[in-house]
Amino acid sequence: MLHPFRAVLSSSRPVLALAACMAFHAPAPARATDAASPGGTLLYLEKQPHKNLYPPAGGFYPNGGILAQITDRLTWQNTDTLKIEPWIATGWSVNADSTVFTFTLRPGVTFSDGTPVDAAAVALNYDTFGKGNRALHLPPSEVINNYERSEVIDPLTVRFYFSKPSPGFLQGTSVIGSGLVSPASLRRPLDEWGDARHVIGSGPFVVRDEVPGKSVDLVTRPDYAWGPEQLAPQGPSRLAGVRIIVVPEDSIRIGAFIAGQADFARAVEAYDEEQIIRHGDTIYAASTRGVNNSVVFRPDNPLVADPRVRLALLHATDRPDILRTLYSPNYPLARSVIAADAQGFVDHAADLTYDPALAGRLLDEAGWTMAPDGWRRRNGVALALAVHEALPQPQSRSMLVLLAQQWRRVGVRLTILSGSPAMTVLDNLNPAVTPLFHAEVGRADPDVIKSAFYPTNRNVLLQKGGQSRHVEHFVDPELNGLLDQVASDTDPATRLADLARVQADILAKGYSIPIFEEPQVYAGSARVHDMRFEAVGRPVFYRTWLARP
Amino acid sequence: MTRYILSRAAQALLVLWGAFTLSFVLLQVMPGDAVLIKFQDPELGLSPQQISDIRASYGADESAFVQYAHVLGRTLAGQLGYSIETGVPVSRMLHAAYPTTLRLAVVSFGGAIMLAASFATAALLAPLRPLRAALRLVPGLASGIPVFWLEIVAIQLVSFHWKLVPVVGVSGWAAAVLPGLALAIPISAPLTQVFLSAAERVMAQPFIDVLRARGASPLRILYAHVLPNALPPTLTISGLVFGEILAGAVVTETVFGLDGLGQLAQQAVANQDVAVLQAIILISVAGFVVINFTVDALHPLIDPRIRRTQAGGAA
Repeated sequence: MLHPFRAVLSSSRPVLALAACMAFHAPAPARATDAASPGGTLLYLEKQPHKNLYPPAGGFYPNGGILAQITDRLTWQNTDTLKIEPWIATGWSVNADSTVFTFTLRPGVTFSDGTPVDAAAVALNYDTFGKGNRALHLPPSEVINNYERSEVIDPLTVRFYFSKPSPGFLQGTSVIGSGLVSPASLRRPLDEWGDARHVIGSGPFVVRDEVPGKSVDLVTRPDYAWGPEQLAPQGPSRLAGVRIIVVPEDSIRIGAFIAGQADFARAVEAYDEEQIIRHGDTIYAASTRGVNNSVVFRPDNPLVADPRVRLALLHATDRPDILRTLYSPNYPLARSVIAADAQGFVDHAADLTYDPALAGRLLDEAGWTMAPDGWRRRNGVALALAVHEALPQPQSRSMLVLLAQQWRRVGVRLTILSGSPAMTVLDNLNPAVTPLFHAEVGRADPDVIKSAFYPTNRNVLLQKGGQSRHVEHFVDPELNGLLDQVASDTDPATRLADLARVQADILAKGYSIPIFEEPQVYAGSARVHDMRFEAVGRPVFYRTWLARP
Repeated sequence: MTRYILSRAAQALLVLWGAFTLSFVLLQVMPGDAVLIKFQDPELGLSPQQISDIRASYGADESAFVQYAHVLGRTLAGQLGYSIETGVPVSRMLHAAYPTTLRLAVVSFGGAIMLAASFATAALLAPLRPLRAALRLVPGLASGIPVFWLEIVAIQLVSFHWKLVPVVGVSGWAAAVLPGLALAIPISAPLTQVFLSAAERVMAQPFIDVLRARGASPLRILYAHVLPNALPPTLTISGLVFGEILAGAVVTETVFGLDGLGQLAQQAVANQDVAVLQAIILISVAGFVVINFTVDALHPLIDPRIRRTQAGGAA
């Protein structure tokens, strides 16, 4: 069953095979590079257009892919050690209970509109990201908790005050959502941040032009001299610029890349990796170090309110089979709620075994008995669940189809829904319609687990107290208490211990079935050198250079 | 003639208003709206209070009638509004998108005419009756090929395998050639079919036999005598083909990743971006009306019989 399944999924292959049958010598590829400039322009194929470049919206990869080139942050998270290192801030101090943070800024840094990156500008950025701006519709950033106010000590010293201990804030200053932008940009209402030309950062590249939904042209800033130390030398980029072109259709994006029409491409599916490597190009699988690609339950729905049912479905899931069938070695099997290279990871592999016999016993105990037709019922009601395909997740639909086949064997029905974006949003807010949700959140800080599960954040379990008005009663004060602690523990060791308790709690209650550690997979041609990624897998073209074709 | 133009213009306005209203109704009955799609994205992390503030500022929770009155009033005042999804004025999006679709339309229509002309010539003049009959089946088959499949094969062969033209990073006319020619194939099919059947009717008429008996070459008979007589129905069809080009543009621009009106329309539907979609609908309907009006106006120029009837009617 493995091969036919793959063949159906691989949209570009049958045609490529057809093309390969025709013996025709290929001339040298036409490259869209700027021959006049020393470094050339790197052509980057994106899967989706950016939506909004307000930095806190940078979690969406197409947004983050632009923000990572045009903005700098106060700090840089070392991609090897995950330590926080200086960037625009040359140093900082934190008080004992993590409520006051003082940053010293690097002198001479300017935004591309010429205004200085000084304490006042940084304070304005954090006031906006920390509290939002209602008049301009700018929401607060999910990585900044308990923010109270800023204080400009002198032109190069800025201090931030928090109402509660906020140990995650320092790492929060390094993430894509904390990109610094000029005061002129911060005066724009949220709507205007859709136009990339409105977003003025201090980064190594500057937006020159955009065609909405189609392309963004970035040019190198020649006077840039303040890159993070890990990416030294800190001078301007060696590229002349980066041209980002949106090609939503997978077979065209990957086909054009392989045909040599572009230098770099995002969102390479596992089934295309082999032909890219065979062609002599490079696959970059960047870890996202956050909450794993998982199927989570909404216990407000009575069908999955019983932890035995949720645990039964966890054990009815043959995760290695899913990985073998659909994914590549770049997709490591999940061993906990968070990735193995995330901070505070605890190995729970023993709790995540495939054991259909155990699944059957748990379902029997919960009162769901197998009917003669092969489906489980309780009081005449079938155990029939539904989940929406999650378009941002790699091969979400195929993964869920395979899951449905596996659950079918223990008598549980899973229907995969798809619909318009509005339909998906509405259904996913209603636990009665979607007792399951396909989720993933990337961020290299223990706070990421709170981002995913806390009711007023992404609320993947749909607890009471979040955005949904359909939740009747489900709330887990114990889990939320632990999440609060993770977000406010000032002692790093205590914080990691609490994070361990959160992972154990989520898995013991069967809230989540972690499937794999989600990578961001890119393809780069042989002429792309020194490609880097920030801590959660967004491309950083700052150090990149192109060999002559 | 003035009265004729006025009544056509009045009809056109009615059609425009109908399309405008219908599109509004259709988007209203879909669940959710553009504001919800954009702002209830969990990645933005907005609180329920913030979302309701934003909804209020967009008037997203007003009654459908109030919203309709608002967009109609705004449109009548010549304002196309803002895209909720991208926050960019709709007029700017249209301005960026229309040249791509226009070039696609020109290449595909021009290509379709050339394809139809050469194919019809071959089908009418080929030696051997079975060959002519077989050729006559081809347009029907061609119109049955799904455009997206044809285009994917064209990209894989022409661009990726033979490397004749790149599909990414090109702009202007260069970007229109491959998609335009691919789209020309299904579009040429109805043109060929209508022209062939009209040409056959003409060729069955006695004056063709007379011409043949007087020694005129088959090619001369076809171009000098059959063509002018078979052209009017083909012209009528070519007006309708414009609609097919617009529909084809949605698919073609998506497959080729072109930034034209078709892709804009497809995204506007997905995001329920009412202002964008309505502007595109207005443009498309206006284009359709103008083209069909032009076709009607051209008829008397190429067909003396219509000219005579109109003159007779006016007398």
